[in-house]
Amino acid sequence: MVRLITHNLLACHVKGCTSNNFPLQFRDVQIELREAEFNPDFLRGFMPKLEWKALVDASRQLGDTSLPPEVPEMLDDDFLKNLHHVLLEIHVEEGVMTCPNCRHEYPILNGIPNMLLAEHEIG
Amino acid sequence: MAPKAVAPAIVDGDPQTYENENVHAIYDKIASHFSSTRYKPWPIISVFMSSIPTGWIGLDAGTGNGKYLPLPLDRPSDILTIGLDRSINLLRLARHAGESRATREVVWGDVLGHCWRPGVFDYAISIATIHHLATHERRIEAVKRLLESVDPQHGRILIYVWAIEQDELSKRQIPTGDDDSDRRGKDVVVPWVLSQPAEPARRGGSEAPTEQRVFNRYYHMFAKGELSGLVHGAAADLGMHVGEPSALASKQLHPIRGVEIVQDGWERSNYYVELRCWQTSE
Repeated sequence: MVRLITHNLLACHVKGCTSNNFPLQFRDVQIELREAEFNPDFLRGFMPKLEWKALVDASRQLGDTSLPPEVPEMLDDDFLKNLHHVLLEIHVEEGVMTCPNCRHEYPILNGIPNMLLAEHEIG
Repeated sequence: MAPKAVAPAIVDGDPQTYENENVHAIYDKIASHFSSTRYKPWPIISVFMSSIPTGWIGLDAGTGNGKYLPLPLDRPSDILTIGLDRSINLLRLARHAGESRATREVVWGDVLGHCWRPGVFDYAISIATIHHLATHERRIEAVKRLLESVDPQHGRILIYVWAIEQDELSKRQIPTGDDDSDRRGKDVVVPWVLSQPAEPARRGGSEAPTEQRVFNRYYHMFAKGELSGLVHGAAADLGMHVGEPSALASKQLHPIRGVEIVQDGWERSNYYVELRCWQTSE
């Protein structure tokens, strides 16, 4: 399953690819929307881990423009609900994630990203 | 049920190839049957997951059928655990683990890979997984990946592996030898008997509608002290201290990374360690 919360954690790990290897770029995606339980305390706790620009860019690639370009100072409910939707309710079911540095492609099939590498690619 | 025989194993050739044939391929074949026997979380793991603060995210390295992904059951949306496994067929089950049938986050990958931003997780668990790696060096690498995956300042880790020391309720009979397995552990294969409907062409009349196939999975059975030894080895490779943060003078020119072994125990035929990472400030 690739929701944007997971996408925000994934980085390319091909041998020698150690810089500019995040975030992976989506291509040819099919998405599904599924409701999830809104938990503002979880979101506030998780926010320090987020790479904000990567999340905003990825959400726009998937057609959602609800997030502001900078993290707002006030984390009000409207903002947190948008964040909740972007992080936890948009499911990428099919598609490809490409490394911005080495162009390695990680396919997503039936909602499961394939992050396995061939033996010669393992660092 | 008669005790299942556990046979000694010799790991030869390339360990990755050996694991592919004697671990990964087998889990893909037995996934559904295996999963039906693995539904009850072990108590120490449930307690660990219940102790995780709200807002934390974690990695389950070797998630199998994902039975730990829905925890803690009383406040499931307070934390998020992402499951990683080599077996795509187990992941398909893990994707919908738990009674709510909610969609889980799962990633197809190797516990020796590092497909994450370093230190991005707050906690990591690896339950009954590292014992499937076929060399001591690869088991150390797996512990290194866990240490690298969690936050240097507060990351928490729980690791479970199979022990040579089996409890009396265990169905297994373990071969005894006069080698030094008390210290270095023991390589074995454990049979998994899979009953499945026989192919129609081979069915002779009405009897025996099922046939049995045996798959021998590779395990490294851990000796006492061996798991904490892996932690020491991994920490040394990463330049981390092992012990309590207070054991070091706080006035250091550079931040020092360390890991404390909070628990080192045996439970129901398994050894486990709980780790806590720490880092001094500059």
